[in-house]
Formats: sequence, C-alpha cells, structure tokens
Amino acid sequence: MLEFPVRTLVLLLLSSAMAVSAERDNCFESREGFGPVNTVKTENGESNIRCSEETGAVLWWQDAFEGTGPMHPMLHGARLQKTPPEESSASEQAVIKAIIPTLKLYPVCGTACHNGSYPPLSDNSPRKLVMHMDVVPDASNLQHGKGALWCLDCHHNTQRNSLLDNFGKEIHMDAAPLLCAKCHGNTFTDWSNGIHGKALGEWQSHGKKRWFGCSECHNPHDVVNGESENGFKAISPEQITTKDR
Amino acid sequence: MPENIPLKEIDVTEKPESPGSSASLSRRKLLEFSAKVSTVSLLGAATLLSGCDDSSAQVSWAENFQKAYRLMSADEVAAAIKRLEARYSEHFSKAVSVDSSKAEPGVLFGAALNLQKCIGCRRCVKACTLENNQSRTEGEETEWIRVLKMEQEPTQQEDAEHYYQSESVPQQNAHYMPISCMQCENPPCVKVCPVQATYREDDGIVVVDYNWCIGCRMCIQACPYWARRFNWREPGLSSEQLNPNTHYLGNRPRMKGVVEKCTFCIQRVRKGRNPACVEACPVGARKFGNLLDENSEIRKVLASKRVFRLKEELNTEPKFFYFAD
Repeated sequence: MLEFPVRTLVLLLLSSAMAVSAERDNCFESREGFGPVNTVKTENGESNIRCSEETGAVLWWQDAFEGTGPMHPMLHGARLQKTPPEESSASEQAVIKAIIPTLKLYPVCGTACHNGSYPPLSDNSPRKLVMHMDVVPDASNLQHGKGALWCLDCHHNTQRNSLLDNFGKEIHMDAAPLLCAKCHGNTFTDWSNGIHGKALGEWQSHGKKRWFGCSECHNPHDVVNGESENGFKAISPEQITTKDR
Repeated sequence: MPENIPLKEIDVTEKPESPGSSASLSRRKLLEFSAKVSTVSLLGAATLLSGCDDSSAQVSWAENFQKAYRLMSADEVAAAIKRLEARYSEHFSKAVSVDSSKAEPGVLFGAALNLQKCIGCRRCVKACTLENNQSRTEGEETEWIRVLKMEQEPTQQEDAEHYYQSESVPQQNAHYMPISCMQCENPPCVKVCPVQATYREDDGIVVVDYNWCIGCRMCIQACPYWARRFNWREPGLSSEQLNPNTHYLGNRPRMKGVVEKCTFCIQRVRKGRNPACVEACPVGARKFGNLLDENSEIRKVLASKRVFRLKEELNTEPKFFYFAD
C-alpha cells in the first residue's frame, strides 16, 4: 500500500524529466566520466543522440559517426595485417573517436616535464608519486596487473606522451589498443575481428563502422576496482515501468 | 423407424423437384440480392467519403480496404505509403517517412549475444523503445526485449526474474539473458496466423503487416520466446518521442488491436545500419550481421565461440545465437 504512491511519484518525476532528456548535458557514451558528448541538432531538427533520463547513458544515435575520425595508421595497420590487400581499401571505413582531446594532462605532459630533455629514470620500481594523484591515487598500488605493473611498463620513459611496446619503441596514444595487446592478445584479436567491444555503424563486413578503443570502456588505471562478476564496473540499470503485458 | 428419418431428409434436399429445393433457391436469390444491395451501399459510402472534405476519413477508408501488403503491386504500395506518410505527418505535426525497401538478395540476418558479457543494464530495452515507437503511456511501456535475471544455477526461462529492480548491475551470482524475437527460420507464429498477416521476409526477418492483423493473438500463444506484444489500447506516443524514420513492416506507429514484435530494426538494417539494441549495448555483448557473408562478425562469432540457441529442441531454428567467450 505504501509502495504505490511512492512509485507513482517516481514515475511522475521521471515523466517530467523525459521532456528535457534529449537536452541533458552530462551524457556519456560508454563509461561514466569519460568522453562526455554534446547533443547536436541534425538537419531535420532532431537531436543527434538520446540519453537515458535515469543514468545519462547515450541510448540512441541518429548519426553514429558524429565527432569521429579515421583510425590511427599504426592501429589500422595492426588490425589489417591478416586482411587480404584488396580489402584494405574498403576497411578505410573504420573510424574512431580520438582519445587525446579527452586527456586533460596530455598537452602538459609532453611539453613541461616529460619532453625527452630530462635524463631517463634509472629506477623503474614502483614508488609513491606526488604528481598525477588525480589519475592514480596511489602509484605504488596500481589497480591493474595485480602488482606486476607500474607506470613505466606502459608509458614511455622519456616521451611521456607515448606508450611503450615490448621492444622499447613508442606507441602513439591514439593507437593504445596495441599497448593492451601486449598482455591481452586474445582480446585484441577478438576486437580486431569485431567480436569484442561495442559496435556502431553498418553491419556489412565492409561497411563503415565506428570502433571503440579499449580505454573508452575500460579504465586502464583502475581495472581491478572496476572488476566485478563480469569484469565490468557495476552500473545502475534502466528500470522498466510496467508488469502489465 | 428413427434411422430412416435422416436418410429421407437427405434424399429430399438432393432432389431438384422436391418441395425443399424451392426454399433453398429462394434463399440463394435472397443472398444474391442482399450481396448486390450491400455492394451498392458500400460503393455509395465510398463515393460519399471520397467526395467529402474529411481527409482522415478518406484515408481510414482506403486503409481499411487495402490488400495484404505482400500482395500489393508496386503502385498500391506507393499509394499506401503516401497515405500513411500524410496521416502520420499530420498527426504528429512533423515530417514522417515510411520506408518500403525490400530484402536484398544474398542477405540472411542473424544476431548473437554474449551471455558472459551481458550485465543486465537494460539499455538495449530502452534503445529499442526509442527506435521503434512503442507505446509509452504513464506507467506503462511496451518493450520488445525482456531481460531475464537468473541465479547462478541453470534456470528455465519460466522461472527467471523479469522485473528485477536492482540498485546496480551486475549483481553477484546472477547472470542475465535478454530475450526477444528470435527471428526463427521455422516460426510457429507464422504457422498459426489465420490471415497470414505475419510472415517471413526473404532476408529472414519475421514481420507483421499491421493493417492485415486481426488481433486474434494466436501468434502470442504460439511463440515459445514471449516475443510478441499486443496493443490493448490506443498506443500513446508523443510527437517528441516519435522516431520519424520508419518502415512499413517495422516501427511505423501502430494502432489499437494489433500485434507487434522485434523486426531486427528493419528500418535500419535494410539501409545497412546496425539495430538499435546492438549500438546501445555498453559492453558490446550484441553482434549482428549477414549469416551468408563469411567475413561478417556474426560468422566469426559462430566459427570461434561456443554457441547455443534458446529452446533448440522445439525445431524453431532461431537466427538469434547466445555465446560465451
């Protein structure tokens, strides 16, 4: 008896929120706090995306390719190494949202401190850092790799805007999945085949597709805390409103 | 002799000279007469309606007397589409397009869902509703996808929790299994439809011709996956909620008394785009593609993962596959 008016109130609140849901500012595409998206009006006056009024997640795209660009050549090359050459032109259809504009520290990292002019660190062992505590609260206790990893296992020693491959060479930040592939090879293979990860765009095997990079869904600095039963951070579900079928 | 009586009666009716025949003849005449009268009156009503200014009455007249969609000629389809576009655009006060594109040769649609990845967030359910113009009235929403929450032990579809109200998902020791139309190759719903209003398109999508559906709900009874929904009331859909890109056999606004179901977002996939649920899934559990194209993602899933179909033993041959890494 008590439940009914509460539920009705919630529903009323929700329905009043629905009117402005399309204009919601803090929408996010994959994981909360990463890659906020803005609603853009398209030619026919409709909003490009529709977000959930409950969680803010983008549920519906009118144009899935809004704000995307071609995939980084390094990544593209790695993805296509098994593809016959005649198909590689068709695979130019792969687009992705660049990570760099979403990284707050990126412009500073490469110019202010880690521009290569400082001598490389001789000591790679984990220790507490006073910097970057907003990204990694406790660098000596990184929540990735169960104690086996530290900053410089992934980030380049002197060129801090780049990532590091197994042979000490640089990986461009926009080709980050190549870094992840160092340990998660099977997952990278599945991702390259389109089996792992989000799928936006066209269904044809040669169609234009929007790819999601690893870090658009997984937080590389906090994968352990984000882990749960299914290896994905718990999120609040969309609620359904009726039992009447 | 009670046994002779029925024989006698049969003899009497079969003989043309018998007194009973005049009665049956006169009945036939009466039927012919009444048929003529009703045709004339229908034609009269048609002329009256076509002469009057009320465009909506003309449209509803034409809609009521149109043929089954798949038997229509190209001209009749074009006329029906034009009628609908005009009616919807007026009703929702914005431009609504109704698509009638046909199945492409060499395409057989299939979908797959990674059960190990699904977290039960119901974003697919909501995305489907945004895309497909289901009825949304206060406190009551038609949804084509139903997410089953199951405990760690193997559970039947019938025993699973459908209406879970969790604070956060995934819950410990639970797994989630979204079910919707499986787009069967051997669909029980199509077999039972008495008017053939639901049928399989050439690219494998099972569709409903809403104007031909009589609302008998036999298909709802026949479907083992609980995939079909009935419009018990006039559907509630506001102008802002309406998705104006529609297909005749898909997400065009429905009317009271017809059955609807998942169409793999026919309005999107016939134009090359992924279905709305596939795009909305935050964990990338849903995959979609052409089963006849060996380079498609769906074929790679079938080739490299452990796959099963729900209720395989019913011989419905679903084109919706569940898989695990």
